[in-house]
This record gives sequence, C-alpha cells and structure tokens, in this order.
Amino acid sequence: MPTLNDILILLPEFYLVGAACVLLLADAFMRPAQRPWLHWISIAVLLVAIYLVIAGQPPQAVTAFGGMFVRDDVAEILKVFALGTTAMVFVYARPYLIDRKLVSGEFYTLMIFAVLGIMLLVSAGNLVTVYLGLELLSLSSYALVALNRDAKLPPEAAIKYFVLGALASGMLLYGMSMVYGASGMGGTPTLDLAQLHNVMSYTTAPTLLLFGLVFMVVGVGFKLGAAPFHMWIPDVYQGAPTPVTTFIASGSKLAAFGMAYRLLDAGMGDLSQHWQLMLAVLAVVSLAIGNLVAIVQTNLKRMLAYSTISHMGYLLLGLSAAGPEGYAAAMFYAICYALMGVAAFGVMLALTRAGFECEEIADLKGLNQKSPWMAFLMLLAMFSLAGVPPLFGFWAKVLVLEAAIHANMLWLAIVGIVFAIIGLYYYLYVVKVMYFDEPVAGSELRVQPDKPLRMVLSLNALSLLVLGLYWGPLLGWCRRAFGL
Amino acid sequence: MISLAHYIVLGAVLFCIAVAGMFINRKNVIVLLMSIELMLLAVNMNFVAFSRFLGDVAGQVFVFFILTVAAAEAAIGLAILVLLFRTRSTINIADIDSMKG
Amino acid sequence: MNPQLLQLICFYAFGFVTAAAALSVITLKNSVHAVLALVLTFFSAACLWLLLEAEFLALALIVVYVGAVMVLFLFVVMMLDIDQEKLREGFVKFLPVGLIVAAVMLVEMLGLIGVRAMQAKVMGADPALAAGMSNNTEWLGHALYTKFLLPFEIAALILTVGIVAAVALTLRERRDARYESASQQVKVNPRDRVRIVKMAAVRPDEPTAPQEPQP
Repeated sequence: MPTLNDILILLPEFYLVGAACVLLLADAFMRPAQRPWLHWISIAVLLVAIYLVIAGQPPQAVTAFGGMFVRDDVAEILKVFALGTTAMVFVYARPYLIDRKLVSGEFYTLMIFAVLGIMLLVSAGNLVTVYLGLELLSLSSYALVALNRDAKLPPEAAIKYFVLGALASGMLLYGMSMVYGASGMGGTPTLDLAQLHNVMSYTTAPTLLLFGLVFMVVGVGFKLGAAPFHMWIPDVYQGAPTPVTTFIASGSKLAAFGMAYRLLDAGMGDLSQHWQLMLAVLAVVSLAIGNLVAIVQTNLKRMLAYSTISHMGYLLLGLSAAGPEGYAAAMFYAICYALMGVAAFGVMLALTRAGFECEEIADLKGLNQKSPWMAFLMLLAMFSLAGVPPLFGFWAKVLVLEAAIHANMLWLAIVGIVFAIIGLYYYLYVVKVMYFDEPVAGSELRVQPDKPLRMVLSLNALSLLVLGLYWGPLLGWCRRAFGL
Repeated sequence: MISLAHYIVLGAVLFCIAVAGMFINRKNVIVLLMSIELMLLAVNMNFVAFSRFLGDVAGQVFVFFILTVAAAEAAIGLAILVLLFRTRSTINIADIDSMKG
Repeated sequence: MNPQLLQLICFYAFGFVTAAAALSVITLKNSVHAVLALVLTFFSAACLWLLLEAEFLALALIVVYVGAVMVLFLFVVMMLDIDQEKLREGFVKFLPVGLIVAAVMLVEMLGLIGVRAMQAKVMGADPALAAGMSNNTEWLGHALYTKFLLPFEIAALILTVGIVAAVALTLRERRDARYESASQQVKVNPRDRVRIVKMAAVRPDEPTAPQEPQP
C-alpha cells in the first residue's frame, strides 16, 4: 500500500496535477479581461515545480509505489530542464498567443499535462508507467498542435502526428507484450523494468525477447523522430503553432531520451549488444537524411525539423555507446539540444507578429540592419546547432563522438564528423541571409516589443555561449547521475 | 487442446491485418484510425493470453489501461478529424498536401 | 462431448470470425460497413477472452469499445459527408502488394515468435482462483488498487486530457448562427435596454414632429 513517503517522493508531480486542475477551473470562472493572468500563474506554477524537484532531491535513487516510479538523478536533471524549457516556451509564446487570440486556459493546462507526462515518463520504473506517461505527453501534444483550429495547416499536422504517433504506440506495445511473454517463459512474467533487466539470463524464449526488443526500438525511434521513422517531424514542426513546435523540439526530446534510457538500459540492458547496432544504424540514417534534406529547405521551421532529425542521430550515437559514459554524453546532448532549439524558435517567435509569420529563411533577410541584437542571438543559436567552437553545441558533439570512439565504434564517429561538416552549410546559410543580404523592400520585419521575451531570450541564447565556456559543472552533474 | 500458441498466432494475424490496412488504405483517415484500433486489439490479445497462460495478473491490468487510453485516444483523434473536415471538407490524405519538402 | 474439444471448436469459430471481420474492416468499400465489421471483430474477440476466463476485460471490451468508442466512430463517419469513391483511389493498386507484404510479415513473425515452444503451454487452473480470489474481477481489482495504483491515477489524468482536448478542439461559437445565451439574458441590466425619457406634456391639438422610436 502507498505510504506518505511514496506521496512525498511524487510531490512535484502531485503538485502539478493540482495546479493544472486549479488552472482549468480558474479559466472557467475568470472574466475574459483577467485571462492574461493565466500566463503569469502558469509560469509561477512551473517555477515552483522546479523548486520542488530540486529541494526534494533524494540523496540516492528511491522508488515509490512498488517500483512504478523511480526518482534518481537522471530523472531529476531531465525534469528540471523539461520544466525550465517549458517555462521559457510560455514566456516566448505570450505575444504570439495574444496576437492570434489563442490565450486560453486549455493551452496552459494541456502544456502542464504534457510536462507532467514527461516527468512521469523519465521516472518510469515499469512498462505500464512508461506507456501511460508517454500517452499523457502524446495526447496533450496532438491536441496542442491542432489548437489553432481556424488556420489551415494545424489540423493537417495534427492528424499526421496523431496517426503516426498512434502507430508508434501500437508498435511499442506489441514489443512490450512480447517482452512480457518472454519474461514469463521459464520465470515469473513481469512488467517491472528492474526485473526485466536479467530476463535474458533465464528465459527459454530468447528470440521472442529479441523480437519484442526490435518493436520497442522501432517505437522509441518513432518518438525520438529518428530516420527512417521521421516522417511526422517536418510536417508537425511546420504546421503546429510555433510555441507548440518549440515545446516539441525541447521538452519532448528530453522525454524521448529519458524513455530510451529507461527502456533500453534499465529494462533491456542485458541485450545491449543487440540494440547497440540497431541504434547505430538509426543514427547513421538520421544523420544522413537530416543533414542532406535540410540543405534544400526554404522554410526555416522545416529546416530546423530536419536539423532535429540529424541531432537525434547524434543523441543516438551517444546512446548506442551503451555505457554510462555514452548515456551521460547523450543526456548532455539532449539538454544542449533543448536549449538551442528553444533559442532558435524563440528568435522566430520574437519576429512573428499579428498577420506576419516569420518562418521562411528569406524572412530573415537583412535582420542585422533591423535588429543587430536579434541577429546576434540567432547567430549564437545557429552556430551552436552547427557545433562551432566554443559554443555549447560543439562540446555536446565532441562528447558523443568521444563516447562512440571509446565504445569501439570509430566508424560511427567518423560518419558523425563528416555529417557535422555537411551540416555547417545550412546553418551558415541562415547567418549569411541575416548579415549579408539586403532587407527586402517593404519588409515588415520587426521585433516584438515584449520585454520579458527579449530578456529571457537574450539570457537563453547567451547561455549557449556561457555554457560553451563553462560546461564542466553541467557535464559533471550528468556524469554523476550515471555513477561516473 | 488450446495452447498459448493459438492466441499468439491470432494476435500476429490481427497485427498483420492492421499493418496491411494502414498500407492499402493510406488515403482514408477513418480506416487508418480503425487499423490502429485493430493493432491495439492484437496487443491486447497477446497480453490477455500471456496473462492467462502464465498465471500473472499484470498482463490483464495492462490491457485495462490500454483500453482506457485507447478510448481517450479515439476521442482526440476523431476531434482532430472533425476539425480537419471543417477546414478542408475532405479527409483524403492525398488532398492534404499543403506541406511539402 | 469432450469439453476441451468444445473449447477448441469455439476458439476456431470465434478466431475465424475475428480474423475475417478484421479483414473486411480494411477492405470494405463503405466506411459505415467497415465500422460495423470492426464491432463484430471486437465482439468475437470478447468471446475469445471469455474462453480465457478474462471475464472482466471481455465485458469491458464490449461496454467500452463497442458501446462507446465504436458508436463515436459511427457517429463521426455518418456526420461527415465523405466521398467514398475518391477515398478508394489507389486501393486496388495497393491491395495485392499490401496483402503479400502482410502475408510475408506474418510468416516471418510466426517463425520468430517460436510457436513450437508456446504449444507446450496449455491452460492451467484459473489463476484468479489460484491466487485465492473468488473470481477474475476481484483478482484484477485487487491488483489495480494496490500494485497498480499509480498507473490507475495516471489513467485518470489521461481521460481528463481527453475531455479537455476534445472540448477545446471542437467546441466553437458559431458567428454565422443565431443562438440564445441564457446567462447573458439573465445578466442583462434593465438600464441598458430601456431608457425612460421625461418629456413635457403636450396638447393634442398642437401638431408635433413624430417621436423617434426608442431602441
């Protein structure tokens, strides 16, 4: 039976559930003129959640509800950054939502439920919790993508996201059912990830287990957006309202890493030699497709979508090293990508106004003449995404490549370096457009006057530079989480 | 005598039918959604069978959750579908190609 | 008749119906017929689960799926005016390829699953009884409210998200249709609607300009 201690371990999650319900009720009883308050309340809710996560950090890993929920350092770090990036998304989203008359309690409530899904997913200790956390995140995301319902693109993007996401869940579940069956052949059947860890040593149906593993890897690949399961990424990035795209590019990626880590290491760690190769193949295909297709894009959101696919390739590179060093590097990469993604989309949100969507690369022409500071922030984000030293993105790439080399996968590291160089082209192209192209005559490129947006965005982009110079503490934190 | 194999084979058959359904009906969103339901049925068939033949309750509990989630999923999926039909007057995936690249 | 043989016959009968109905779901021309075929699939699957002594889930499948989810499907299919013919384009082209792919996949899957080892697993005593419970529902409920309490709570959240999302996506105020808002009617202040104008009394014999009608 659950005790008070179990509830204390889950305090941040319980708190968020309560806060989301209060927001939902507040929205129903508020007068329209009071709606803007929802924005500040939601940000406060997330900040308090961050405090609860950090303040309640247990000295070592603890489990609650009979192993359903695991609270360890990996989960803590991912939660802090998922909550933090989501709070940033809220700040950046305000002018966009006001201009498009989308300020509603549903947006904030669904976002908080999605973050809650991330928190449960990265802490999952059982296949059931993995599935339910994932669905809480996915269902909220499908709805968020379609929230701007009067526009033409969002419903299209949402239906594609929904069908492919549900297909991925189906694959994942089919794999889980096989793993469950295999664990019962010659032992007690279990869904507990810690107990599944050594199924391989006793099961009488090893092929069944591997069969299930393949389906689970396919499901994880879908959710990460790794090629060849990436079909949904470009359309969803382009079609979704930009704040939602920002969330999918940041928080969801942290969640996908957490899910991959829980399923593959905590659950299927004994089979690492089998999934290592599958992930390596996914990594190479993602790097190739992501970087090559991004070159021909003219829409900035689509270009960043393909860039996400290539970044997921690097993340998989770290995961496929299948050791604490690789995981630490992959988690460092996921955090780095989340911060870079939020910054890049944040600049787009800062340039978007009522009646003007900044989403073509050509829209940025001559940004440097209009607003040198915004151009500089975008430059930092682009250089970091490209992996130009000494920015944050550079060190993240170095670490995953190093982990791959230490795991005796030199060929994989070489592929990674080659595609990093190819990828430079399209990031530098954006910089060239901003700095060396003349502004289009009559261009309405203007920066949103919203003060909090400008301040947080500046801090966000500058953090890429600062963390590029002082990356030691964050890396140390990641490495300690994996016992290094 | 009924064995575990009977049910798992039936689950595999349903799963393959679901995949084939997604492949041949790639234009009709409603049939795509129904194929997803078939896929979940295949999963549920596996879990119930494993649970019964291996004598463990967890499989059946998992099915309970899958049914719950699938109901919420269907509600959201159909809501998006209605929205799509309102803005485009079609549910044909082939007509839904505003985004390319 | 041998009860085990009867069970086997029942399995093959319901199993055949399940598979055949599932096949017709993906091949039938009319979407309404396809939904009805899916209902049949779920119904016969529920019968198969009854054979497995999973009574609670079998009934839940009928109540939740056939009763709620499939009715929702049927409702949406009938509400949307769908051009059936256009949706069938390419169907004939993909049909043979799709069926061949599915058949090959099935053979490969059956090979990998290891059917032979599973044939040795036969149905033992009802595990619910073995666990000391009186029936399947009690067995399931006991696990649900003890070991699986946290997932149970998360499932409740997922249903909440389902409601919020479905309402947020489809509820809209139509600007092109007239409708009455009861709360607005109640809240109305008489001073906003009626203006009482004081005027001097006039004699009937003096012709005056016609009064402007009050709004």
